[in-house]
Amino acid sequence: MKAINQIKTKMNRRLVLKGFGGVALALPFLEGLMPKQARAQGIDRRFAIFFRQANGCAQAQVTGEIGSEPERFYPRDAGALTEASMAGRAVDELSAHRNKLLVLQGVNMEWFDYGDGHAMGALQGLTAAAPLVPFAGGDSEAGGESLDHRIGRELNSDGRESLVMFAGQGGGWLNGPCISYRGPGQRRTALHNPWIAYQNLVGSQQGLSDEAQTQIALRGRSVNDLVREQLQRLKTRPELSSADRARLSLHLDAVRDLEVSLGARLAADQELVLEQQAPGFDSTDGDQVLETARFHMDIAALAVSAGMTKAAAIQIGVGNDGNTRYRNSDGSSMENYHFISHRRLSHDSAGAVIGNADVLHHTIDRQFARTFKHLIERLEAVPGINGGTLLDEGMAVWYNDNSTGPQHGIANVPWIIAGSCGGRIEQGQMLRLPGAANEPTHRRLLNTIGSAVGCSGGTMTNFGDASTNGALLSEVLIG
Amino acid sequence: MTQWTRAIPIAAFLMASQWMAGCEQKTPDPARPRAPQARPADGDGDGIPDRDDATPGDVIVDHDGDGRPDVDPLEPETFGPETPAPATRYARLTREQWENTVADLFHLAVHTGFSEELAQDASPAGFIFNNPAEALAVDATQWSGFQRAAGRVAELVTTNATLLAGVASVPIDANAFIRALGLRAHRRPLSEEDVALYQTVFAAGAAAYPGVDATTGGARLVIEAMLQSPFFLYRVELTTDVAGEIIRLDPYETAARLSYALWGSMPDDELLAAAAQGLLVGEGVEAQARRMLEDDKATSSMLAFHQQLLEAEKLSGVAPAPAFFPNAPAELGALARQENDLFLADLFTTGGGLGDMLTSTRTFVNDELAAIYGVEPPGGGAFAPVELDPTVRRGILTHVAFLAQNATSVDPDPIHRGVFIARRMACMPLSAPPANIPPLPPTQDLQTNRERVEQHTQTSEPCVQCHLDIINPFGFPYESYDATGALRTHDNGLPIDTASEVLLDEGPQPVADGVELAEAMADSRVVHECYAEHWLNVVSGRVRHDDDTNLIKRVGWASATGASVKDLLVEIVTSPAFLERNVVELEGGAE
Repeated sequence: MKAINQIKTKMNRRLVLKGFGGVALALPFLEGLMPKQARAQGIDRRFAIFFRQANGCAQAQVTGEIGSEPERFYPRDAGALTEASMAGRAVDELSAHRNKLLVLQGVNMEWFDYGDGHAMGALQGLTAAAPLVPFAGGDSEAGGESLDHRIGRELNSDGRESLVMFAGQGGGWLNGPCISYRGPGQRRTALHNPWIAYQNLVGSQQGLSDEAQTQIALRGRSVNDLVREQLQRLKTRPELSSADRARLSLHLDAVRDLEVSLGARLAADQELVLEQQAPGFDSTDGDQVLETARFHMDIAALAVSAGMTKAAAIQIGVGNDGNTRYRNSDGSSMENYHFISHRRLSHDSAGAVIGNADVLHHTIDRQFARTFKHLIERLEAVPGINGGTLLDEGMAVWYNDNSTGPQHGIANVPWIIAGSCGGRIEQGQMLRLPGAANEPTHRRLLNTIGSAVGCSGGTMTNFGDASTNGALLSEVLIG
Repeated sequence: MTQWTRAIPIAAFLMASQWMAGCEQKTPDPARPRAPQARPADGDGDGIPDRDDATPGDVIVDHDGDGRPDVDPLEPETFGPETPAPATRYARLTREQWENTVADLFHLAVHTGFSEELAQDASPAGFIFNNPAEALAVDATQWSGFQRAAGRVAELVTTNATLLAGVASVPIDANAFIRALGLRAHRRPLSEEDVALYQTVFAAGAAAYPGVDATTGGARLVIEAMLQSPFFLYRVELTTDVAGEIIRLDPYETAARLSYALWGSMPDDELLAAAAQGLLVGEGVEAQARRMLEDDKATSSMLAFHQQLLEAEKLSGVAPAPAFFPNAPAELGALARQENDLFLADLFTTGGGLGDMLTSTRTFVNDELAAIYGVEPPGGGAFAPVELDPTVRRGILTHVAFLAQNATSVDPDPIHRGVFIARRMACMPLSAPPANIPPLPPTQDLQTNRERVEQHTQTSEPCVQCHLDIINPFGFPYESYDATGALRTHDNGLPIDTASEVLLDEGPQPVADGVELAEAMADSRVVHECYAEHWLNVVSGRVRHDDDTNLIKRVGWASATGASVKDLLVEIVTSPAFLERNVVELEGGAE
């Protein structure tokens, strides 16, 4: 059955946009969207935006396929980040912002019994939790809440949930979006189309006058009143299971959420750019996937700037990012990223070796670095409340599920933080976390990030699997 | 003969239980029994063990005349009472169900496509279908999408006189409009309380849509509201009508269960009328189910089920290496998917069952697929039915789709072919492979792909635990089909070995090749019960529960004894487990 929206001619106004193709959104509008009260001194706008990459990075390792692979990701030296130490490494894409970066080494995850390297990395990444059911492999679910959700639940106004977005073709390993959890086994929905994500944020249709917007708000209230009444009535039914009651509560909370949605929006021409560019969100083409990621970043920046949320999570690709084919420097399409990360022409160890896969992996790392740079620059473009920029008030975090591809490593997993979160996070250096080799530090890092954003009054040590070490990493925190 | 037990033999089940604990955690047990290597007696020389030789005195039942004993012909009454498993009372519509329902509600010939407004639903791992009832929620993200989608539908309907006339009289009578559309949107007559709520919304329409006449504005706002109502977005089941040990669904709940199970959409007028007249009991349910199964919507639902079961999404990644397969079609995966859809639709509409699905020699090809199968091309670019050589092709697992989607770009992939059979066809609970498995080495000179896999997976722990008895034996029979699904007789210059012993039912069964494996599966209780379990999963939107066991046995038995797919669905939707709720829910036991 062909859909009506496929048959109808697209809006004429799209024709106006021919000159906009490929143009990223400019965001001086963020200042205009800032809630008035937020402009006042002393308002706490701390936030964390997580940007997730799969499949490890091209760091120094020995693989059965390529042999001894040189370091291509991290800076050469610990300590102050310099142009020289970053040159030639993937992170040199961020060199211009090195004074606001904290590159971490020694982020080691727990060996939880997920039964699959991608599940262990992707599902543990923001949860620091063991699996709900051991050894379920590709059928795994995380056994705990994710940090983005914890931040949203604890710090967002009205307990609004964090913003979760996904770029790339869905399905596949671990069933699409998989990094954000409401609780054990409670995987969260992700916004996929950035245009839809934007509309969710602003809560109404585009290109309308103030009067029309007001009418939309009135209609929304009429309908919401009815829906609330029906949901409240259903919630009182005694035969409900606790799970059903919880889902109805979530629904009811969502209805309330929209009543306080953002009362501002992009300029009309910027909306048009977003609408025109958004259709690549479900692509397997790496360029389109990362373009979608940049739009998601714009929207996340908009959301944190306007005080809509204090946490956002942006996932690129499915559990093993096995659907995406990133582009080589000559513009040609590589094999899918999972093949590249395995160094083989297969999703396991059966395929033929891809001879230069380590270099290709490095090329992909650079593309992710440039995408992360886009987020940094968006946040830098917005003036801060107390001087500085929006980036100084929170943090952007680029992290990976694994350290390496072929081994699905969980030791020395890339985590790079931009922004000091209001002067709480060290910057301008590469820090080797202390401790014995492979000593788990990942849960400690999540607790440290959560604390910096303000969870548990600024000292959160109870996030993640309680059987492991959750102490804060004092080395990461200032003072 | 022994009475049916849970299909997987105890030995296999125990092994599977070990795998669930994680292969890599196990200390190798040299004393662990292996599958016998010696071939059983085979007096008739058909390559199949003669069970009468092995167990003198048994009566062999072989209705299909394939020389292989049929499944145990026990009567279904022996399977024990069937109990409904506790289930959610608020199963949210999936995106597909939302599209189907909106199209039916407003008599649209095509889907609106407005479900594009919805975010991608959470898709919990471990459930292979897209309707996990416990996981589909309405959070802030989805709520925004449902709001916008409802607004677009309301605009579409109320700005098109023909569409509006399909749901409202002219001039619009608010009360009649609300009650009539409400019956179909809520899938039950509106309560007076809800009528009053919608009348309030209708009255607000004039101010909300000042550009149109007041009643059109009212209708538009009511449509928006109904499409956002929890009674529309969820299949709400509020019944608490206890009858002994069960809770009876009310007639409208029964109608909705039937329509979403068989059509993935709302009840039609006839089904709602049957509910109103109290006809949805006993044979009345079966009559409606059989009527509904003749509708094209049932065929669409059946195809969606099999596309998910057969991992059709993998077909988009099929890409045989041009250096090895220069004549492979560029769109091989898409062609294979089309073939399977045509095959399954034909099988479903002509009354075929799982046995036919696994052993039929009929399929559909275009010229490009005909070249792969070695049959006469139909010409003209279209697909046409053909008969395949029964000595080399039997059923859907010898079709291009299964074979090509479980292959590397160069070689057949017996490991993934075997894992698919074990998990999806036999419902064996294989655990994930251990982390950091060493790579499969390149094929050596004078070595076949099979020998390479055997050497890599069957010679050392922990791989051997899963591969020796389960995975590889299910995969090797397909070694005679290359990465495009074409037949091959040699690999790396050496003859292909497709012989294997597969763990089905009572124990290892020798099979000579993929054709014999197809026949063995068609005769296997394990496989038929597994198929029944998958159908129950998708109909109920949840994984198997202990309470499902007897129903699965009975439906599996029906399938094994020749029931069509339609018959299986009738068995499920007329079962007590489908038509009732578990009384334990009222005792706080459904938490």
